[in-house]
Parts: sequence; C-alpha cells; structure tokens
Amino acid sequence: MAGQTDHSLSIFSAAEVEFIAEDEMIEIVPNIRMDALNLLCGDFGPFVPQIPCTVPLWLAVALKKRGKCSIRTPDWMSVEKLTQVLEAERESPREFQPLPFHYVEISRLLLDHAHDDIPEVYMVRSLIEDIRNVRFHKVESGLETISGRTHAVKLKNLSAMEVNLVRPFMARVLQAFYKHDSPEMVQQADTSASKRPQVVDRGPRRDLRPR
Amino acid sequence: MGRLLKLREAHKTDAPATCSVLWAHDGSHLATSCASDTEVLIHDLSAPPPGRSGSTAGSSPVVLRHHKEGVTAIALGPTAGPLASGSFDHSVKLYNFPVGSFQGNVTRFTLPIKSLAFNKSGSLLAAAGDDDGIKLISTIDLTISRVLKGHRGPVTGLSFDPKHDYLASIDSFGTVIYWELSTGKQLHTLKSIAPNYNSDSSVLNTLSWRPDGEMLAVPGLRNDVVMYDRDTGEKLFNLRGDHEKSVCSFCWSPNGKYLATSGLDKQVLIWDVDLKQDIERQKFEERICGLSWKPVGNSLAVIDVVGRFGIWDNPVPVSMKSPTEGVVLNEPHSLFEDEDEEEVLGKGISCYSGSLDDSIEKGSGDFSPISRKRVKKRGPSFDEGEEVLQEIDSRKRRKESENKRGDGEIRERAVRMQDAFQVGFTPPQQGKRRFLCYNLLGCVTSLENDGFSHVEVDFHDTGRGPRVPSMTDYFGFTMAALNEKGCVLANPCKGEKNMSTLMYRPFGSWANNSEWSMRFELEEVKVVALGKNWVAAVTSHNFLRIFTESGLQMHILSVNGPVVAAAGSGDLLAVVTHASDCLSSGDQVLEIKVFNINEATQTISGRLPLTPCSHLTWLGFSEDGRLGSFDSKGNLRVYSDQFGGSWLPVFSADKARKSEDENYWIVGFNATKLFCIVCKSPESYPSVMPKPVLTILEFSSPLASSDLGADEVENEFMMTNLQLSEIRKKIKDMEAFGLDVTALDDEAFSLEVKLDRCILKLIASCCHSDRLVRATELARLLSTQKSLKGAITIVTASKLPILQEKFSTILEERMLDDLKTPEPIPTGRSNGKTAYSVQPPVRLSPMMEKSPDLNNRTPNTIKPQIKSSPATETLKLVKARYSTPENLAQGEDISKERELGSKLEKLATFVKGKGNATSEVTGKDVSSSATGNVKPELKFPINPFARVKKAT
Repeated sequence: MAGQTDHSLSIFSAAEVEFIAEDEMIEIVPNIRMDALNLLCGDFGPFVPQIPCTVPLWLAVALKKRGKCSIRTPDWMSVEKLTQVLEAERESPREFQPLPFHYVEISRLLLDHAHDDIPEVYMVRSLIEDIRNVRFHKVESGLETISGRTHAVKLKNLSAMEVNLVRPFMARVLQAFYKHDSPEMVQQADTSASKRPQVVDRGPRRDLRPR
Repeated sequence: MGRLLKLREAHKTDAPATCSVLWAHDGSHLATSCASDTEVLIHDLSAPPPGRSGSTAGSSPVVLRHHKEGVTAIALGPTAGPLASGSFDHSVKLYNFPVGSFQGNVTRFTLPIKSLAFNKSGSLLAAAGDDDGIKLISTIDLTISRVLKGHRGPVTGLSFDPKHDYLASIDSFGTVIYWELSTGKQLHTLKSIAPNYNSDSSVLNTLSWRPDGEMLAVPGLRNDVVMYDRDTGEKLFNLRGDHEKSVCSFCWSPNGKYLATSGLDKQVLIWDVDLKQDIERQKFEERICGLSWKPVGNSLAVIDVVGRFGIWDNPVPVSMKSPTEGVVLNEPHSLFEDEDEEEVLGKGISCYSGSLDDSIEKGSGDFSPISRKRVKKRGPSFDEGEEVLQEIDSRKRRKESENKRGDGEIRERAVRMQDAFQVGFTPPQQGKRRFLCYNLLGCVTSLENDGFSHVEVDFHDTGRGPRVPSMTDYFGFTMAALNEKGCVLANPCKGEKNMSTLMYRPFGSWANNSEWSMRFELEEVKVVALGKNWVAAVTSHNFLRIFTESGLQMHILSVNGPVVAAAGSGDLLAVVTHASDCLSSGDQVLEIKVFNINEATQTISGRLPLTPCSHLTWLGFSEDGRLGSFDSKGNLRVYSDQFGGSWLPVFSADKARKSEDENYWIVGFNATKLFCIVCKSPESYPSVMPKPVLTILEFSSPLASSDLGADEVENEFMMTNLQLSEIRKKIKDMEAFGLDVTALDDEAFSLEVKLDRCILKLIASCCHSDRLVRATELARLLSTQKSLKGAITIVTASKLPILQEKFSTILEERMLDDLKTPEPIPTGRSNGKTAYSVQPPVRLSPMMEKSPDLNNRTPNTIKPQIKSSPATETLKLVKARYSTPENLAQGEDISKERELGSKLEKLATFVKGKGNATSEVTGKDVSSSATGNVKPELKFPINPFARVKKAT
C-alpha cells in the first residue's frame, strides 16, 4: 500500500506489530511440571501437566517449540466462529466484525508454530485468509471514498495489522488533501496551518485505537 | 436345496423399495406390503391344497387400500390379533386379521413411519420413524402411553423384549438403544454398532430379540450379525460368514435356534445360532428385504425389493431340528401363560384347516400337547365368536402386562449391587481407543483390533515420565493401574480357554525381562491396584492377593464381600467391598478397608457412605495421602480423622455444574481442589482423542443456606478449618517421629492467617445482619491478637459498642493467657513463632525462669483490672466515642495503674491501652492495626513484654 515504505510515517513494521501481539494472553495445556515463573510482566504458572493455564503468546510459542505444551485454540479461531465472521463480513460492506485486535498476528503465530493443536487447520487457515482479504478489500474500497472534505475517518473494529497498513497512507492522503485544498484556507487561517499537520497525523490514530 | 426359489409378484414397484412379509400365527395367511405401494395384501394360503415350493397360487388376496402412500411397515399382534400398518402418509392403521376389515387409525406422525412392533401380549404397539421419538401406543384404547426420545436419526427398527422388560430400537445411523419399558429410561446406548444407512433410505436397519429374550441380534459393521446381551448390552458373539455385504434383514426361527439373514449381496443364509455356523443359503435375483419364518413347520417367507414374495420350504435341512420344534415345550415357565395362548390358538387353527404341510417333520411328541390344548381353548372361540374372545383376551392380557410392569418398577427401585470397576476406566467403544486407567500421572489406553489390542502407556508429564513402548495384547486386558514405577494389567476370563491373567510391567529395571504375569485358574481378577513396591489384585473368590514388584506372592487375604473397587498409593491400599445386598431404599451397603501393605496393618475399616441410590464411581488417594470417594450423584467425600474417622462431603457436582449437560469425570483431588474432565452430555466418559484437558473445581461444602448471605465465606471457613486440622494432625504425627516440621508450621501459619481473614469477613457480615452472639463466637475463634484487633476495628466501624466491649474483653483475656503461659507455643502457633523470631533463645531462658512467680502473681493483681476495664470503657463510650474524653479516660486509667506500682502493670497498661485504643485511633500501633499490616504488629504484644522482663 502506498506510503508503506515511508519510514517517517509508518510507525511499525509487520514484525514489530507481531512483536506487540505476542503480549496477548493465550491458554496452554502444559505437559511438564514446572514451578511458577516470576517474570517482569507477571507471574505465570505453576505448570501442571494436563491442567490449562494462561500465559503470554510469546511464552506459549517458546514452550510449544520445545514440545512442552499444547496451545488451546482461542474460541474465535474455530471453524464455526470464523465461518460466521466471514459471512457477516461479506454481508455488511461498510462494517467490520469484532475480532481480536491482533487476530492476524495471533492466527499467524499459531498456524506457524502450533498447527498440530488446531482442529481442521487447513480450513481455519483458509478462512482467516479469506476474512483478512475481505477486510483489507473493505479498507481499500473505503479509502476510495475519502474526498477533500474528509477530516477524519472512523473505522470501528479495525485490527492492529490493518491499522498499521492504512495509517501512513491515510495520514498522507489527508495531508495531501489538506495541502491541495489550502489556498483558500491558508488565506483564512494561516496561523493554524503550522499546527494542522500534526493534528491530522494524530487524528486517525486516536479514532482507531480504542476498541 | 440349491434350486432357485420362484417368487410371485405381489406389489408393483418401479424402483427398489422396502417390502415386508408376515405370517399369520397359524401359518394360513401371509401379509405383504411394499413401501412404494399403498396396498397391504393378505394372501390366503390355506384355501387351495398347499402347493410346492413357493408356487402357492391361491385365491386372490385380500387387498387393504387405506393408506394414501406407500406402506413402510406392518406388524402383527399375537394370536388372531390385529394387523398394524405404518406408511409414508404418517399414519398407523389397524385391521382385523386375517379378515382384513379396517379397525381404525391408531396414531399420526408428522413424518413418515419406518417401523412398527407389537409386544408379546399385544397390549402395546410401538411405532417410530423419521419423527423424534418412539410412540408406545396402548392397543386397548389407542392412547399414547409413552414417547421415548433419544435417537438422533430416523428409527428404522423396533423390537419388544419377549419378557416385556425392554424395548430395543435402532436408527439409521446404526445406534441401538435399550429402553426400559417400566420407566421409559434409556438403559444402554450402543453407538454406531450397525451400518450407517442415513444416506440410503432404501435400506432400513433392523434388530430382533431372540424369542427367549436372552439376546438381541443387530446387523454388524463387518457383514455379520452381532448378538448383544439382554441385560448388560454387551457384545456376546457374532455370526460372520459368507455375506459379502452388510446384512440388511433377519428373522429368528420361532424356537430361537436358527436365524435367517439376508444381505445386500442378495443372499439369504440360514444360521444355526448355537453352532454359529451357516447351514443353508440361497441366492436371489434381487435383494431380499423381508423374511418371516412360518410359525409352524419349516418354511420361510421372503420378499424382495421389487415386491415379489415366495415361500422357501425346508430352509433348515430335514435332517436337523425343525425351526419350530420345542416352541411350546421349551418355553421358560414364566412365559408359558402368554406363549401357549397364542401358539396354541394359532396352531389349533392351522391343524383344523389342515395346512400343516410339514407335520411329518415334527415329532408326534410336540404335536399331542398342542391338540390337547386346542380342545380346551377351542370351545369359547366357537361359542362366542372371535371378536368377543379377542376382547376378553386382550383385557386379560392387559391386566397381566400391568402386573408385570408393576413388578418391574419394584425391581427398578432397588438399585442393583454394582459390579466391580477399575478406577479411571472408560467402557469399550467399537473401533475407538479407550482408557483402561487414567489418573493424574498418566494413562493406559487400549484399542481393540481384530482379536487383539494395542496397549499404550502415556505420562502427562512428558519431561519426566519414562517413555514406554506400546505393546500388543493378546489377552484382552480390561483393567490397569499405573504409577511412576510400572503398570499392572489384568483381563477377566472369557470362556474356558482364556484364563484371567495379571501382568506387571516395570518401567525401569536393572534386569532384563523383569516383566511378570500370573494366571488364575477358575478365578477371575476383578480389580487391580498398585502402590509403592507392591501390586494388589482382588479376585472373584474374594481374595486380596498382594505381590511384590518383582512378582513374589507376598500375602493372600480374604475380603468380606464381592469387591467394588480398589485404589493404591504409597503404602496404602483401599478396598471397597459389598457388605450386603442393597437396602430396600435402594442404597448400597459398601464397606471400605485401608491396609498399610508394608507394615501389614489395617488403618481404616468401616462403611463407605454414598448418596442415596447412587453407586461408587471413583476411589482414590490425593497426592498427600488423603482418601476420597466419588459417587454417581457427583458427591466427593474425603476421609478425615475428625470425629474418630469420618467422611466429609466436600464437593457436590449439582452445585458446581454450570450447565445441565455437563458431566464430571473425576481424576483426582488435592487439599482444596477437585480435578476432573468435563464431558458434555450425553457422553459421561472422556474420549482418548483429542487428549482430555483437566478442569479444576474448588471444593464446596453442602452448606445450608444461612441468614448471613455470605455463603462463599462460610464455605471458605469450613474448608480452611478442615485444611488446618489436617495440617495440625500431620504436624503432630511428624513431631511424634521427631521430624522437622518448620515447613508445615509455615503452612499452618499462613492457613491461620487465611482463616482469620475469613472469620473477619464473617464477623463483618454478622454485624451487617445483626447477629451479635455469632460475631462474638467468631471473634473467639480468631487465632492471632492482631486479627482480634482487626475485629474490634470492624465492630467500631459498624457502631456496635456492645460488641466492641465484648471483643476487648476477649483480647484482654487472650493477652493475659499469653502472660500466664509464655512458652514459645501458646494458643496460637503464630504467636509462638513470632516470639521465637523476635527473641533469641538466650533471652528465653531467663524469661522461663521468671515465669513461675509471674504466674503466681497474676491472678491477684490483674483480675480486678480486667473487671474495671470494660466498665471504664463503657463509661467512656456512653460519654462520647471518638473525641478527647477518651484520651482523658485513658489518662485516668494510666494514673490508676501507676498507683498500683508493680512491674507487671506497665504491661497491663499496654493491654488496656490496646483495648481502648481501638476506639481512639490515636496510638501508633493502633493505627497500623487498622491498616491491617500483619508482621510488625504481631511482634508488638510480645516486644514490650520482653523488655519488661529484661528490666526485671
């Protein structure tokens, strides 16, 4: 997407967004016995075989890589739920369905590292891919509607990855619109012009963040 | 016999459709129907002289045209009873048989009917089909007496147990359900034991009881017919042979000796069921979908899917016993009444009409009783006409069946004595892996595969548990127990050849071939258990056999009754046996004994309590060695030494259950929690794949709902108390052995703190609901002075001066008690401990020396103070609560005490100051007590005390 490579505007790379998503909590079923881990971000465990406990995703992935646990697929990642979401996404062209903020990253991490724990993994993978495509398409088609009069765009239930993709482009578009529209405005309010870009830059982010 | 049977067209069909054929009881008529034909035909075979082999070209059949769509099922009542037909047009109709006159509509369904069945006495008609539920219709008044719901798919086969206890039904998914007629409950659900025809509606699954009711025949998955036990629903044996495709229809010979089966491979086979061998076969052009043995003689009526029927004479070779031989004579006595009524009437008529074409084959022995009875029964039927007779008969039968049902109910109420079970097992399911044993450590699973099984041992903790290679099991193990060191497996004896075997596999041994097995002749292993260096097995002879880890036979004990379950852990072995037959209330009488194997002692012996009308489902030890039992009503009981050894109910599934369809399959428990696997109904057992995940449930006492509205806190109070008593007991035991108890002491201390916190919460809620006496009682239970001060702040905040006063008194008493007994471990362990930590032992000794004279003095000097203090306090409170007057009052107190002028008084002031301070919120220590800061506070009562001592 446009503006993606522009580092001055793009805030996170995809890997960074994934890094942030690794702090999400997920349930695992350990197959080892281990005392509680006292980490900076909190205490996790104790780990008892066959008894589920909740840990951050990064820890879950690390344990999974060593074969110490199986990851329990989150509720929303079941074929049934995803099918519903996909249908709803297709039916409502203007709205986004509520999904976890980091659904792209979480599903990606789980599909990469814990594919053997996900029931009907191929179905899940293709459903998530479809949902992602539908949503990205929606975002793109939504961007087409931005006109000179747009000051802010409200997008509910947008996920981290989607926001991250859209953000630089959106900010620049709004800036550009502002610039092209400016002759009259500059004459009217020259004083505010110096402040505006910052406002615009921040504007969409504030709208998107709260979920 | 190889010649092809000639079939005669009865129904016209375009496509293959399910057709049915039925004999009249006298063998004189034949009823046929076809799913693509609206007519039911009654062929009279008696009119012309019996022709040869199927070419029974009689007079034109009676045609019953009452249905609007194809007739899918017909059923015939006993004797000359009615003929029922069910159809795609959703209705069930009754006709007189063999006359063919229409009697009436029985019932209507919302969807097509697929199956019909009369019970033996003719009082009930069961009808089922695509509708949800099997309808049981009373044929007397044509009312629906019961609807049995439970099948997921269309019900295609129904069969009444000839003894009138059960109804068996099968659906197109191949699931068989045994229903109990007296209650309408599902007794057994056997899933997917028959072929799944859900996609193919032209084939209907069917099933049939053997005429003596001892077994149920169901088409199997491997082109066979499988027999299931009458009561247990267990697979008995199968008839497997030359059918190349699934069996789609069969019929028992009237004496139950032979079975005629027809398969999708267009063959009809005749089996000798006792020999499990096919004795005759015939190939047809089309698939045979209906079979019916002639009630007399040796003939089989068949009908194929295009609506052509024929009669196969002598399907059972003449050299063998006739399929109808011994029907009357060999019938069990209980059935005699019903049986000979219908049989005799039927046979009588057939004799009369002279169509008994196979009479030569039948011995004259069974012929003569028939004719004798015929004479007896024939009279009324001639005098009063058939209809009247029928009515009388049916009424009589109804009464009989009602009586029988009554009996059944009584029997139902009395719970049967439960069979022995292995803890942590799941029942076998065909083609699926099942658990032989599942515990907190790991599991032993088994998968049956063509006569032998694969047994696997898996540990939950893959990091630590040994890796055990899977093994092939030729014995058919059904029981197992597992611990860290090894697993024991055992199988029951199956017939004469397969003896009961016990096998032990150690996981790590320095010697090769250290696996051993024992065989038991004429004895059967019922349950096995495993502990530290021993293996136990309880057998059908009520022997408890104990082996060492290496296979040495160490002990053989006799247990008191048939064993129910056993569990082992460490040195302890618990064995539950039946003590007597069930009580009339339906409660089982179980007895439990706990043995210490290494010391050869018995530690617990007594009755095992159960919830009324329940059975034991789990027995085991927790990790810390406490014994627990779980029953079928979902109650966990834990054995405790309190009250001289008793069982405390600590968990009830009814309370814990979040939704109705959850079943808890218990795996283990610890001091405060229960570990179980949650199974969604109707499953009550977990499956091996996917790996089950344990759920943790908190214990909860079955508390009465009290007026406090603080159920959770009350529950916590109970549980913490229980835990504390367990730990104290353990400390006592360990101290007796002279072991180090510091770790346990710490645990006990933190429990005490927890308990105090809980009591404070209770006090708060008592204050809210104005239960002052209870609050005082609770305050007395507080173990630390710190918490007592907390309690005082609570009552102060809730403005209850009376309580405040009471609590202050308690506090003072406590402190004085502490004074009297300044040993490191006084009332509360915590105080002793803190004293210990504050004062080095060097200082302790002078204090101990001083204590006697201190004790001597206290009664005299301090008592008046105690009496004065509440009074002064109340005075203060009456004057004003929170302001300076209190300080003044305290000042007064202090001045008074100075007058007394003894060393101890300093302390007394302190005590008093404490008591008063609560209402003041001025003193330093008081303010900290209000914030609830435990550690420094706890030292306070002792510290000044120590200093006083030193000064002296």
